[in-house]
Amino acid sequence: MTFEWLHPFLIATALLLAAVGAVRRVNLWRAGQPESVDFVAGLMAMPGRYLHDLHDIVERDKYMSKTHAATGGGFVLSLLLVVLVHLFGVQNQILAWALLASLALMFVGAIFVFKRRLNPPSRLSKGPWMRLPKSLLAFSSAFFILTLPMAGVLPEGAGGLLLTIVLGVFIAMGLSEMLLGMTWGGPMKHAFAGALHLAFHRRPERFGGGRSTGLKPVALDQRVLGVQKPEDFKWNQLLGFDACVQCGKCEAVCPAFAAGQPLNPKKLIQDMVVGMAGGSDAHYAGSPYPGKEVGQANGGPLLTITEGLIDPDTLWSCTTCRACVEECPMMIEHVDAIVDMRRFLTMETGSTPNKGAEVLDNLIATDNPNGNAPASRTNWAADQNLPLLRDVKETDVVFWVSDGAFDMRSQRILRAFVSLLKAANVDFAVLGDEELDSGDVARRLGDDATFQSLAKRNIAALSQYKFKRIVTTDPHAYHCLRNEYTDFAGDVFKGVEVLHHTTFLNELVQAGKLKLSRFKGGKVTYHDPCYLGRYNGEYEAPRELLRSLGIEIAEMERSGFRSRCCGGGGGAPITDIPGERRIADMRMEDVQTTGAELIAVGCQQCTAMLEGVVEPRPQVKDIAEILASVLLDDEAANDVENQLEEAF
Amino acid sequence: MSDSDYSHILRRDPRGERIARNRLHPLHSTVAVQVAETLGPSGLLRKNPHAVGFIGPNGIKRIDRLKGNAIAITGRRNAQSSQEVLLPLHQVSEPDFTIVVVPDMVGGRLTAHDKDILGQAHQLARSMEAGVAGESTGAGAVMAVVFGVSKEESFDKAGVDRLLLLDGAEYEGYCPEQQVAALEQVEARLKPEYWLFPDSVHGGTDLGSRLAARLGERPATQAWQMNTETTICRGASGSTDITRDTPRLLMLAQECANPVDETRHEALSIEWAPVQAVLPELHDLGQVAVDPNAIPLAEAEFILAAGNGITNWEQFHATAKALGATEGASRVAVDDGNMPRFRQVGASGTWVTARVYLAVGISGAIQHMQGIGQCDKVVTINTDAGCDMVKRADLSTIGDAEKVLDELINLVDTYRQQALHNQNGEKEGAKNAA
Amino acid sequence: MQLDANTSMDLKIVSLISVGKHPTSGRARRAEQDGRAVELGLTLAEAGRGKQNLTVLHAGDSQQSALRSYAGMGLESVRVIQLRESADAVSPLTEYLRKHVPDIILTGVRAESGESSGMVPYLLAEKLGWPVVPRIANIVSIKEGVAEVLQALPRGQRRALTVRLPFIASVDNAAAEPRQSAFGPANRALMEQQQAGSETDTVRSEWSELPARKRPKRLKVVKAKTAADRFKAATAKPQGSGGKVLKDKTVTEQAQAIFDLLLEEGVLR
Repeated sequence: MTFEWLHPFLIATALLLAAVGAVRRVNLWRAGQPESVDFVAGLMAMPGRYLHDLHDIVERDKYMSKTHAATGGGFVLSLLLVVLVHLFGVQNQILAWALLASLALMFVGAIFVFKRRLNPPSRLSKGPWMRLPKSLLAFSSAFFILTLPMAGVLPEGAGGLLLTIVLGVFIAMGLSEMLLGMTWGGPMKHAFAGALHLAFHRRPERFGGGRSTGLKPVALDQRVLGVQKPEDFKWNQLLGFDACVQCGKCEAVCPAFAAGQPLNPKKLIQDMVVGMAGGSDAHYAGSPYPGKEVGQANGGPLLTITEGLIDPDTLWSCTTCRACVEECPMMIEHVDAIVDMRRFLTMETGSTPNKGAEVLDNLIATDNPNGNAPASRTNWAADQNLPLLRDVKETDVVFWVSDGAFDMRSQRILRAFVSLLKAANVDFAVLGDEELDSGDVARRLGDDATFQSLAKRNIAALSQYKFKRIVTTDPHAYHCLRNEYTDFAGDVFKGVEVLHHTTFLNELVQAGKLKLSRFKGGKVTYHDPCYLGRYNGEYEAPRELLRSLGIEIAEMERSGFRSRCCGGGGGAPITDIPGERRIADMRMEDVQTTGAELIAVGCQQCTAMLEGVVEPRPQVKDIAEILASVLLDDEAANDVENQLEEAF
Repeated sequence: MSDSDYSHILRRDPRGERIARNRLHPLHSTVAVQVAETLGPSGLLRKNPHAVGFIGPNGIKRIDRLKGNAIAITGRRNAQSSQEVLLPLHQVSEPDFTIVVVPDMVGGRLTAHDKDILGQAHQLARSMEAGVAGESTGAGAVMAVVFGVSKEESFDKAGVDRLLLLDGAEYEGYCPEQQVAALEQVEARLKPEYWLFPDSVHGGTDLGSRLAARLGERPATQAWQMNTETTICRGASGSTDITRDTPRLLMLAQECANPVDETRHEALSIEWAPVQAVLPELHDLGQVAVDPNAIPLAEAEFILAAGNGITNWEQFHATAKALGATEGASRVAVDDGNMPRFRQVGASGTWVTARVYLAVGISGAIQHMQGIGQCDKVVTINTDAGCDMVKRADLSTIGDAEKVLDELINLVDTYRQQALHNQNGEKEGAKNAA
Repeated sequence: MQLDANTSMDLKIVSLISVGKHPTSGRARRAEQDGRAVELGLTLAEAGRGKQNLTVLHAGDSQQSALRSYAGMGLESVRVIQLRESADAVSPLTEYLRKHVPDIILTGVRAESGESSGMVPYLLAEKLGWPVVPRIANIVSIKEGVAEVLQALPRGQRRALTVRLPFIASVDNAAAEPRQSAFGPANRALMEQQQAGSETDTVRSEWSELPARKRPKRLKVVKAKTAADRFKAATAKPQGSGGKVLKDKTVTEQAQAIFDLLLEEGVLR
């Protein structure tokens, strides 16, 4: 046959062009800032990361996971065999049959992809992504027919010239999508960038069931603080943006997007890609930022992101709830990117919106966000007779009070918790006036300088004393103490356990140190605080606590790792970007569908946000408050015991 | 409470009555006085109809069958009702020294702050008269220098011994340069022992600072306790107390001393040769009309705040306009998009200092109550009598906010029209008089 | 802000800054009013040729970190006349200003630390022979060497004034809030030090300074003439234990009650 050379030529050309594209793409990533990565270990771990960590997330959607396994697996296998069989011309019946099998697998997968694309949900991007199933089908079917003669099913040269040309067209189409698209920026880019992203991920701790949620500190002597231009990102962050498959899982869970605030995590990542490669977002074919038109944004690797590419309001809409990161099958770090860009806005341009500047000034001048007198931090406990670390020097448990000390509503939670600590005879003490704001808000608002100053002073205060555990009622402080102070702490936290009060109380209850009666009240639901759940993986202790009171939790549809944010995190109530609805109202609707009369919460910020919803609405109580309300004093406890004894 | 509360009780004096009846009593002549019939100069017997009879205990005139021998128990009552407490007059005929007070005279009247400072001036004068280290300095006079048109009528009771009223055309409006020139002349002629200014935003601080800079005196500012020896001033934006020797020129804080209340003063106007008009570098273009809604919420004097209970927003805005109030809002009203965020009152919004806070349809979340903690008078229109706002408010009305606001607009409109009418009437009256 | 072509080119502005003191924590900070003076200076300079027309000047210690929070507003440098803590700032400032002759000098009304007498603008004005405009809220326009200025009066009221350049103005709290101070520029700004000879403020060194005592609230003194009055004054029930609640009254009565209160308080104008 005269056109024998055609198909190998096509394959070779595609591979060559793909290699050129890959070099170009790699150079785009290399424009980013250096970050040390263990290349060898990363590459070695990559298949495992793909098969376990990534697939575990995809597995949440069974349809898609099976489809992807068939299509992706079939494709990878097919490509290898295609190179062997068709490019190098290895004549082997077994190989040919294997290739046929893998192509068939890919074909079946592609049909399901095709079906999904017939009536796609709004979260999926359209545009080139609508082309993909056709390309997949073309690739698999064309090579299938091309391989048939080699497997001995069809005679050599069957079909003649016409078939050769038709196949050539199909193969060209399939190869350009699958190979060129991979490195020159088509939908298949995700395979190339995604694989390397998994290998060189900035948070390798996340793989293998680990958790890495603390923000990375800023070196304060840098030329530019935070991210001004795309090239200010670390190179592996840029790589991560390229891994996006535009599946829109992040968009579907984003509370700000649902509230009509101008944020869509998927679009944000795509804009990062636009910035990295240069150009405009006109080709973007997914949902826009609510209230903003697509096609107006322009960027380039050396252009300031917030001038033309992304509206600062988009960045300030984020509540840092991490729902997008939790859902992302490619394990992209949206929150890191957002905070990096916020850092530039706050620390370089000084444009934290609304109350942001005031809160930061207060944190600097008074160590608390509302400018209260630092000496009044323990006023709430004037009647509590709390032991101070300054006096006792050594204790089992440090009760980290947090800024709830200044807020009258939160003080009720604090008092409830103290009453429980006292009832359980826990050896505890507080830092008193030596405690400062944890720095959570400052850090989320992008002021890492203030965060670091607060963190260092808090650590210095703690380092003077001996203790085994730190317990706090505030998940935000908990997160900072547990995950973010370690960058500055040296070995102050060595051998110290940081606990959220629900974990600690659960321990006490399970050990029988708290005598509690059963909860008498209506239906109860539990709202997972983001900084307790997604940030620290504590979903079970609060539930177990509630169950131990005889409460059967009426779970919301979005609970556990899928819990919807209350809207209070990441400084969102401070920056206060207008939307169409309020996040807290949406969360309250979630609650109301369960018919619960009481919402159990483990966070003062969630309490404040949910109580801010206009009545009538269910009551909101911290778990400590619920526990304190059913706490039996000694006499009552004895009575109960006596009654039990009498009964037997 | 003054003793007037008891003055209406008429007490009979049985002993006096007895003496009056008994013409032989040795004291009879001192009690029985009024003679209704007297012998006129021409020898005719004259009857005094006013002296006939007496006023009975219940206030009705009675014919005196006792021929003036009954005691008149009426006098006390009449005397009481007409008598005004006349404070002793403090006179300084030839002052040996002068203490000058330059009051703010907001709206042409002495403010409470001005009166405190006049009180302080007299304390100084008395202690100087008593003598420093046994050496008396003679009698001192407190002189007030008043610029512009004065409407004050009780300079005497406020403690002004001498009054220098400079109300020429050159003192109209904001004219600190002219005022300083006048004060410089006072300094040249009288060499006052002390210069006292109110340390206030109404101009006292400005004028005092200007004069201090001109005279090269180092003034005491924000002084809140002083005598002839030492003065205590607030320093470092009110966070420290500076104790220092008393200078000649002081700017005094509010309530530095008690106002004068036990003496009257002469308030003698001083004849003053006209001060040469200075060529001012500052030109007053007059007060700018400020839209109440342009006043920052934290500064506003009168706030009309809306909450969740408002349904008719147009009416709410109309009310604010009619009342001339600055608009405020609760968090819910802002969240619902009915009011902009910068109108939010409360712990997470603005902390307000309004004198009058009129809250409509706000139940009073704790954060909101924190924000209005400094308000003087809180008025609320609410549907729930048990809510926190009603507990805090000085006046609460329970009912339909829309109707009450409607009625309120009507009342204000009629009031405004009347005021306008009266003004026009006055003007016409003035014209007629001319 | 309107500037005419001539003035915008070479309008030289000096904003004087001091070290503030936070009211609740007592820490050094950017002073509220001085920050506003810098903000107004920046706005004026930006309306004209650019930031280089604004000099931010401090007399005191150049090592003071609070000065950096002014620089964080976007200043490339802060000029510091290096002085000892006890030194008097007015004469070196006057010397500097005589040499550099700006068109507008902006200061705060009162410093937040030290004596906080608010005399600096007046003393400078007296020494330079310039007019001083106290408590301004804004500079509306500068045309042909004459500035129209809005002066802040109590309770949000404003007075318009005109004044010929050069002048000194103290900036009131009613002026535009200072922009946010950003850590990066603050950290990188240059502190241009200048040495100056100055005399020690000897008068002040004789004063004693203590944390402020709480001032007693003025009591309503009853000067009673009779025993009955004194008794009554001593035993009278304190006023105002809860407000008046009008329930089940007609709408007219309720509105009338509110109206009366507003009238009595004098807020209806």
